[in-house]
Amino acid sequence: MFIYITKRLLWVIPTILTVLLILFSLSYLLPGDPADIILGPRATPEMAEELNRRLGLDKPWYQSYLIYLKNIIKGDLGTSIFRDRSVLTVILDVLPYTVILTLAGMGLAVFNGISIGLLAANYNNSYFEKFLTMVSFITASTPTYIAGVLLIVVFSVNFNLIPSIGIGEGGFLSSLHHLIGPALALSIGWTGYIARLTRSSMLETLDQEFIQTEKSFGIPRYYILYKYALKKAIKPIIAVIGLGIGRLLGGAVFVEVIFNRPGLGRLIVNSVNERDLPMVRGGVLAAALLFVIANLIADISYAYFDPRIKQK
Amino acid sequence: MFKSQKFFRFKKKSIRVIKIMGNDYKAYLGGIIIMLILVSAIFAPLIAPADPYKTNVTKRLEGPSFENLLGTDSLGRDILSRLIYAARPAVLVSFGGIIISVIIGIILGLLAAYVGGILESIILFIFDVIRAFPPIILILVLLSIIGPSLLSVIVILGVTIMPRYGRVVRAETLSEKEEDFVEAARSLGADNSRIIFKHILPNIFASVLVLSGMDMASMIMWEAGLSFLGLGLQPPLSSWGVMLQESYQYIQTAPLMIVWPSLAIMLTMLGFSTFAESLRVALNPKLNQEV
Repeated sequence: MFIYITKRLLWVIPTILTVLLILFSLSYLLPGDPADIILGPRATPEMAEELNRRLGLDKPWYQSYLIYLKNIIKGDLGTSIFRDRSVLTVILDVLPYTVILTLAGMGLAVFNGISIGLLAANYNNSYFEKFLTMVSFITASTPTYIAGVLLIVVFSVNFNLIPSIGIGEGGFLSSLHHLIGPALALSIGWTGYIARLTRSSMLETLDQEFIQTEKSFGIPRYYILYKYALKKAIKPIIAVIGLGIGRLLGGAVFVEVIFNRPGLGRLIVNSVNERDLPMVRGGVLAAALLFVIANLIADISYAYFDPRIKQK
Repeated sequence: MFKSQKFFRFKKKSIRVIKIMGNDYKAYLGGIIIMLILVSAIFAPLIAPADPYKTNVTKRLEGPSFENLLGTDSLGRDILSRLIYAARPAVLVSFGGIIISVIIGIILGLLAAYVGGILESIILFIFDVIRAFPPIILILVLLSIIGPSLLSVIVILGVTIMPRYGRVVRAETLSEKEEDFVEAARSLGADNSRIIFKHILPNIFASVLVLSGMDMASMIMWEAGLSFLGLGLQPPLSSWGVMLQESYQYIQTAPLMIVWPSLAIMLTMLGFSTFAESLRVALNPKLNQEV
């Protein structure tokens, strides 16, 4: 296990270095001269030169790549062009909102998904089970942005129950109130997936011999279902949570834009639109790091719950 | 093996798959939805009641009526007609994207499994770098480099999804290569290309088909999402994502308008994913449980 984790960790380093190289090369790949876009038509050559120096575009590319790497190791991601603040502080400001949103979404998806899946397994082969399967298919094929839009249409516009924008003005209850819609929208797609996984895992476990033995001992049905079977059937669900967190991070982009919440996703979308190069680089780097960590957790938890994987 | 015999075996397998799917309500649901989308994409001009690009400012943001069954949008265009025409970019993006993914994925996966060595490491490394970004963010950045258009959306979606196919094809080729029937064919003097086309590709066909059904749903989702953010397909083209974006500004005053494209996207995704699921169960009877 230890060797597997070390190997997996070492494999991450070249990946991250290449990600950095791609982000670095954005300044050459993005259409148009950065100085022209940022400074506008009335810029003097001196201003353009100063900006190019700040962006590190005045040296040959390998030199500026090394400078870029050195700065990142020092924690310096550059200065945002439009906000005139350090990229790192801007990211650290919005990151907690994205992390809270993602975790809340995952929590809701796990709770609702397991509940639906257990019901479906309990009433297997009935019309109720078919209905629940259809519900999980429909939720699994609802993109986050549509879930968000429909939640706003129904609960904000029609019933005025949840706020449709912002994060609330301080205070725990207000923040929680503003989190309901976004977290629910984010969780919907993954809820269906977890429900289907729970159902199949439960059915597989209920088929096994130890359950039959317990049945023959006369242990009550609900006791078998929730104490013995669930304990065993929950393993594959825990194993996919890491994977789910990575997916939800991507979905958070849309949720943040639709509900107008601060967060990493909206920051990246805005900076891409503004062509704020240092901000795009920093934001995408943060997103990629989070994603790589989530995938790492997913792989390791898979290997932990299914030891056959380690040998690959 | 004689040609007729081989054809007979293929036919027998197809009949079995069709039989299993014939007993599955999910196959019918998915099939009907996919047919519906394809028909509206191909015959859009015949089905649509009005011209999707004809604006009429005197009738903007109207609710459903006999003249405009689903109402009109902010420029007075008929929403139903726009919805029907928007099936075209959806079909182009999902089929085009998946063809690119599958072709590049199969080529790279086979290369990795067959050549091995340094080339295999490089190919796997490319897959890992693509997978290091959250897909939506990679697509966003690539689109801002190339610029949004129907073609660039298709190509970028195809490339972003491609590692899934590459990895599946490599893994399955590696295990198929060890199978006895491949060994037998090789000892009879079959060369690599014959083994790949006659023995390995037909065997990985099933998993690629199922995966691509699911990915076509995600491609439609991403295309619409990007257009919704204003970074994908651009107005005035009718696409469900563009319609979402246009009606999002009127969500407080005309909330019904945004519901129609949302339903269209959900229905399409539901169709592709239920059909793929049913196909998965039918192609692999050992795996009768759904995941």
